Amino acid sequence: MEELINKLKEEIIDVLNLEGMKPEDIDENAPLFGEGLGLDSIDALELIVLLEKNYGIKLKNANEGKEIFKSVRVMAEYINEHRTK
Amino acid sequence: MKTKHYIYQKGHHIVTPLAVGSEANFEAIATGHSPLRQYRQQWDIPEPFFAALFPVETFHETSLQQYTRFENIAIQAAEGAIQRAGIDASNPRVLFVISTTKGNVEALENEKAQPANQAYLWHSAQLITSHFGNHNTPIVVSNACISGCAAQITAFNMLQYSDLYDYVVVIGAEVLSRFIIAGFQSFKALSPERCKPFDKNRCGLNLGEAAAAIVYARCEDETQIPDQGIVMTAGAINNDANHISGPSRTGEGLKRSINKVTENFDTKQIAFINAHGTATLYNDDMESIALQRCGLQHIPVNSLKGYYGHTLGAAGVMEVILSSIALQKQMVIKSLGTEEPGTAQPLNVCMENTSAHGNAFLKLISGFGGSNAALLFTLKHASL
Amino acid sequence: MTEQSFNTLIKCEITASTAKVNGQTILQRTDASEDWFSQLYHAIGMQYPKFFKMDRLCKAGILGAELLLKDFDYDRENVKADWGIILMNSASSLDNDRHFQETIATDNYYPSPAVFVYTLANIVTGEIAIRHKTGGESSFYVMPSFDEQLMNTLVNQAYMANPELTHIICGWVNVDGEEVDVRMKVVER
Repeated sequence: MEELINKLKEEIIDVLNLEGMKPEDIDENAPLFGEGLGLDSIDALELIVLLEKNYGIKLKNANEGKEIFKSVRVMAEYINEHRTK
Repeated sequence: MKTKHYIYQKGHHIVTPLAVGSEANFEAIATGHSPLRQYRQQWDIPEPFFAALFPVETFHETSLQQYTRFENIAIQAAEGAIQRAGIDASNPRVLFVISTTKGNVEALENEKAQPANQAYLWHSAQLITSHFGNHNTPIVVSNACISGCAAQITAFNMLQYSDLYDYVVVIGAEVLSRFIIAGFQSFKALSPERCKPFDKNRCGLNLGEAAAAIVYARCEDETQIPDQGIVMTAGAINNDANHISGPSRTGEGLKRSINKVTENFDTKQIAFINAHGTATLYNDDMESIALQRCGLQHIPVNSLKGYYGHTLGAAGVMEVILSSIALQKQMVIKSLGTEEPGTAQPLNVCMENTSAHGNAFLKLISGFGGSNAALLFTLKHASL
Repeated sequence: MTEQSFNTLIKCEITASTAKVNGQTILQRTDASEDWFSQLYHAIGMQYPKFFKMDRLCKAGILGAELLLKDFDYDRENVKADWGIILMNSASSLDNDRHFQETIATDNYYPSPAVFVYTLANIVTGEIAIRHKTGGESSFYVMPSFDEQLMNTLVNQAYMANPELTHIICGWVNVDGEEVDVRMKVVER
């Protein structure tokens, strides 16, 4: 799990162009949206693409993301359970 | 330029997957027709989508074979409008203003194999104006979803504030492609069925192809406007300065645009409001908030997206033409697709075709990039 | 033709190797290995993480607007309905459109929303409006080459049509592959 969390942090920094951020700067238990990283609705959509592209998980609608993107840890747990690649 | 001009529509034409001609399109929607349907495997896009695409017959005209689909329909729309206006489009006092968001973007699928500059909007625009023997450099307006209305504001300003042209031909055209559909799908913005503008269960937009053109003319004396003529009274654009893709939560930019065009105008004369009404959750809420803040929420409002889908660069031009005909016929077209209105602020959504009362209509449009436009049109009565 | 109804306050230029304000070079590209736009961003001390999410057209426009306004005294807190933006270019958003096209290849089909959002030329006016809180007119035009006379005509007309407008950020912002051509100015009625 810890390995997946770190990999996920790197992927998030990369696809969301979080300039100057390192994996250790992201608290895996902190909310991804709202304060924290300053992510917005387009970032949420891009995370949906990340789930599909890297882990073969297809979300039906953007609303499902709300639960999954609560924190990096929640996201990693979801991936662990649902990944197809 | 100190003289105030009246800027009016001298001729227009619409080409859609539903019908050819402004009147024909109006009759078709007034009787509840729509070309929207589901497409599967179109352009090898994995997910099905609901849209309105031109049938192949639209492009059968042999004299236009050298043009791309986009240029072809733009020319067809302009040709019809120019004919009805009875003007010589090759005259140097005629300017073309062309509205589109993506033009020939499908040329990028294999750009090197295409003729040089095919993907460039200015290049397409020049091919279109050359077709009519016009040598003025056309102005392309690419302002996302508000392009069609922004182009009419540019035309208005050119005729009102400069003495360079007597006529401006405004063309709005858009063809769809793998590029555009894939993009909107990635935005999770598309409805899997017919869109439901202003409905409490609305869940996204449909996309559509269309081309429409209006020839705008000017005159100094009101009596020169033909009876039943449609005059563009005012237009305004304001930016929300809030988000590049999400509509403002306060409707601030749209509110300022509406207030600007209705300044010194008796809003009791407004027969109806043709809103943008894309059927996305946030757009329709935003429009309802802006209208409520302007105190215009009681005026009948409709969206034409349930008939044609969102036709992007064509929308502002086509919807103004259809609304102009509705105003001339003193009628409000129902908002097809709306079952039970439900927006952040209540609106008087037109649920059935009804008679209109007033000699003006307001056109609203908003889009990516945070821009919001409002246009006000009035009907010239014989009694004036 | 109507007389010019405005004065130019500040001008800037950005090419693929230089950045100038009012004709004075403020940065010359020296390190070809570092991204030129990032180099310029750091050199002028900009702090705006959203910059790194933008496509190259928006980066060019945002940097141009920053060069114009970083030392200018204006209201940075509130949305200003009396400020407008009028920009034009020749490649619209094609530079980024090519990038989006790569994300929808048949054998690797993952359309990127973060790339798609920049496939509209006028997003650059939106980004500048957000950064500098300009709430008046924002317009984007596509022309074969920079026609300064047309630009001035459009600015003149915007002033006549919108009596409330005081300042307009305007000019040419073109990014097309290797080509970077920014020529912007702030004008005042």
